[in-house]
Amino acid sequence: MTEDTKFKRRTRTQDTIRQLKKNKTAMVGLAMLLAIFILCIGAPIFAPHGPYDADLDRGSKPGFWSDDCIPGYYLGTDYLGRDLLSRILYGGRVTLSVGFVALGFALIVGTSMGMSAGYFGGKIDSILMRIVDILFAYPALLLALVIAGTLGRGIDKAMLAIGVVYTPQMARVMRGAVLIIKETEYIEAEHAIGSSTSRIIFKHVLPNSLAPIIVYSTLMLATAILDAAALGFLGVGAQSPSPEWGLSLSIARKYLVTGAWWAATFPGVAILLSVISLNLLGDGLRDALDPRLKGGAKL
Amino acid sequence: MKKEWKWMGLLIVAVMVASTLSGCISEKEETPAPTEAPGKYGGTLVFGSSGDAVRLDPADVTDGESIQRMDNIHEGLVQYDGGTTNIKPCLATDWTVSDDKKTITFNLRKGVKFHHDYGEVTADDVVFSFARQYDENNWYHDKGNWSYWGWMFMDIESVEKINDYKVAIHMKNPNSSMMTSLAMFTVCIVSEDAAKDYGEDYFKNPVGTGPFEFVEWVKDDHITLRAFEDYWDGRAYLDKVIFRVITDPSARLMALQTGEIQGMEHVDPSQLAIIEADADLQLISQAGMNVGYVALNCGEGYVDANKNGKWDAGEEVDVPGAFEPFKDVRVRQAIAYAINKESIVRNLYKGAASVATQGQPSSLFGWNADIVGYPYNLEKAKQLLADAGYPDGFKVTMWYMPVSRPYFPTPTEIAEAIQADLAKVGIEVELFTEDWGAYLGDTEEGEHQACMLGWSGDNGDPDNFLNVLYGEDKATVGSAGNVAFKRNEKFQDLLDAALLTFDQAERAAYYEEANVLLTAQCSHVFIAHSNQNLAFLSTVHGYIIHPTSRKFFYPVWLEE
Repeated sequence: MTEDTKFKRRTRTQDTIRQLKKNKTAMVGLAMLLAIFILCIGAPIFAPHGPYDADLDRGSKPGFWSDDCIPGYYLGTDYLGRDLLSRILYGGRVTLSVGFVALGFALIVGTSMGMSAGYFGGKIDSILMRIVDILFAYPALLLALVIAGTLGRGIDKAMLAIGVVYTPQMARVMRGAVLIIKETEYIEAEHAIGSSTSRIIFKHVLPNSLAPIIVYSTLMLATAILDAAALGFLGVGAQSPSPEWGLSLSIARKYLVTGAWWAATFPGVAILLSVISLNLLGDGLRDALDPRLKGGAKL
Repeated sequence: MKKEWKWMGLLIVAVMVASTLSGCISEKEETPAPTEAPGKYGGTLVFGSSGDAVRLDPADVTDGESIQRMDNIHEGLVQYDGGTTNIKPCLATDWTVSDDKKTITFNLRKGVKFHHDYGEVTADDVVFSFARQYDENNWYHDKGNWSYWGWMFMDIESVEKINDYKVAIHMKNPNSSMMTSLAMFTVCIVSEDAAKDYGEDYFKNPVGTGPFEFVEWVKDDHITLRAFEDYWDGRAYLDKVIFRVITDPSARLMALQTGEIQGMEHVDPSQLAIIEADADLQLISQAGMNVGYVALNCGEGYVDANKNGKWDAGEEVDVPGAFEPFKDVRVRQAIAYAINKESIVRNLYKGAASVATQGQPSSLFGWNADIVGYPYNLEKAKQLLADAGYPDGFKVTMWYMPVSRPYFPTPTEIAEAIQADLAKVGIEVELFTEDWGAYLGDTEEGEHQACMLGWSGDNGDPDNFLNVLYGEDKATVGSAGNVAFKRNEKFQDLLDAALLTFDQAERAAYYEEANVLLTAQCSHVFIAHSNQNLAFLSTVHGYIIHPTSRKFFYPVWLEE
C-alpha cells in the first residue's frame, strides 16, 4: 500500500450518492417513490380486485373506516362499484407512464435542441431558441390542452402533448449548461489537439452538463404527472374506463356533495404523494449535485 | 290588484274555516278549497339551467334549453291545459274541423298585443308563422332549418287567411295527432314585423305574445325576461325570470342551497335524498314522458330527394357510421340482453325511473303491456353473439351525451355502466363525446356507430315517439330522427294508418302492434323512462310540472 491510496478516490457519482444519503428528506422522497413504483408495477399482485370489475349494486360504498364497508374493499368503491384501491394501483401505472414517456420525449428532443443551440451558436441557436420562445409564450397546461385537443382524445396523445410542452424548458436548461462548459479550458484543449466535434460533444460536453438535467428531470417528472392527471381530469387525456388518477377524480368529484368523499379523495392523495416524493428527491439531488448550494467545499 | 288578491285570500280562508267548523259538509263543499293561496306579485326568479339556449325562434329549435326560454315568450293558437296534454284556447278562441277532417278553421282572439310595441296579432302573423316553414316562396323560408316541421307537420298543406281574425289550416290528409301538435312550440306565433326588422337575427330578438318579454341574452351566462304588462290574460306574478347557465349539477344544487338561484332543472339522482331532507327546498317530480335509448347504427339511410317526407325507391344513401355487426338482429338483441337496465335504473337513476321495455312511455296509449323487452340475461347475450359469429365480441365506439337530459340525467356514468356490462360479453366499447350542438348534428348525419340519445314527448301522442324516433321515413341522413337508420316498411305502414283514423281504440291497436315490431327489430336498445325532477326553494309557489318537460313560469309566484 502506498501513501496515495490512503485517500480513497471517489467518483462524482459516488460523491453524489454519499451527499444524497445524508439528506433525510431526499431519502424519504426516494423511499416513497420506490414504494409507489413497486406497488403500481406490481398492481396485478397487490390489487385485491380487477380495476374494471363493476357492479352497480355495490356502488359508492365506504372503506375500512365505516361499518358499511364491504369486506375486501379497503378504500371503498366508486360510483360503478369498482374497488378503489385496485383502481388506484392500476391507475398509477397509467399516470406514471404518461409522466415518464412525456419526460423521455422532452429529454431526447429538448437536450438535442439545447445541445445544438448551445454548442453551435449562431443561426442554429437563433432559430431553435425562437421556436422555444414561441412555445414558452403559452402557459404549459394551456398549451398541452391545445395540443391534446387538436390531436384528439387518448392517452398516447396526452403523452405527446405534455412532452412537447416540456421540450422548450429542457432545451433551455441544456443550452445554459452547454454554454458554460463550451468556454472551459478542457474543451479548448480538446479543440487544440484536434478532437472531432462529435467526440467533444458526447465525451465531454454531454456528461458534464448532465447534472442540471437530472435535477430538472426529477422535478419535471412531478409536474408532468400533475399535467397528465390534469388532462385526464379535463377529459382529453386517458378515457373511460381507464383507472388513470385524474380521470377517476374528475367524475368522482361529483359525488363529494352526496357524501362519497373517498372516491375523489384517494386518487387525489395518490397524485399528491407521488408529486411530493419526486419534489423531495429532486431537491435533494440538486443539493447533492450542486455543491455550491450547500455544504460543498469538496472541490 | 294586490289588495284584491289579499281579500280573495281572506275569503278563501274564511270559507275553509267555516267548512271545517260546520262539521256537516255537503258534497259540494267536500271538494277541497284551493290549497294554494292566490299569488303575490313581484320578485325575480333565477332558474338554474344545465345549458344555454341555441336559438329563441320557436320554429327553429329542437333542444329543451331553447324551448324552456322561448316558451315563456311565445304562444300558439292553442295551449296545453295545466299539467296535461289536453288543449285549450290561447291565441285562438275557438275552432271548427271540416267534415273531411282536412281543414281546421280558427277564430283569433282580438286585441292580443305583441311585445315591444309590435302591435296586434292578426291573421297575417299567423299565416307568416306557418308559411315561413313550409312555403319555399316565403321571404323568410331560407333563414331557418325548420327541423320540427319536417318531423311532425308535413301533413299541413297550407295556412290561409280568411279575414283579419280568421285563419284556416288545410291538410293533405286527415291527421289525428295534429290538433295536439298545434299546442307545440314549433307553431307558436311570431310577429312578422319583428321578423322584417331583425331578419335572420330574429332568434336573438324574439317578439311574441307570451306572459314574458325578452330583455337580454348574455351568451353562455344568462337570458333575462320581464313580465309583459299588456299580456292578454293578465300580467304574470313575477317581475322577471332569469335563466342562468350552471352546467355542473353539484354547482347548481349549491347555488340553490345558498339562495343564489330559486329553482333548477335536471336534479342529479344522487342529490334527490339531499333535497328531500332539506326543509328549505322542494322537489317537484313526475313520471317523465320520455325515453332514453342506445341507437345501433344499421346503416339504412336515405335522402328525401323529392321532399315528400317518404322513403321512395332510389333514395338510399350510405350512412357514414354504419357498423357491420349491427346489421345482424342477433347482435343487436345480444346487446339489449347484456345491458343490465334494471341495475342502471336502481343505482344510477336511484329508482327515479322505470325500465323501458319499448320505445314509448307507458303513460301514452299504444303502450303494449305484453311486451317484456330484453331483461338482463348474460347467457342469452353470449349465445346470441356466438350464433351471429362473434363469440369473442368486437370493438365498437359508443357516443355518449355531454349534457344531462331528463332521460339520461347522468350520461357519463350510464355510459360507463354500459361499457362495463358489454365488456362481460367481450364487446369492447370505446366512449366518445363532443360538444352538444355538434353531437346532435353529427348523429343526425349518422357519423356514430352507436349513440346514446333520448326524447321527451312533445304532445302526448305516441306518433311523436314512434314515428319521429323509429320510423323509416325519419332515417334521413343529415336530419335523422331515427338515428339507428333501420328500415321497416311494415312498422311505418302501421304508423301511417294510425294517423288516418280518429278512433282512439283503433289507433291504440295500431301502435301496440307497431311496438311489437319495434321491440323485435331491436335497432334501439331502450334503457329507461326517467322521472322529471325539478327543485325549487320552498318559497316558490304555483309551478306546474308539465309531462313534456316544457317550463312555464306564468303561474309562478314568490313568497316574500
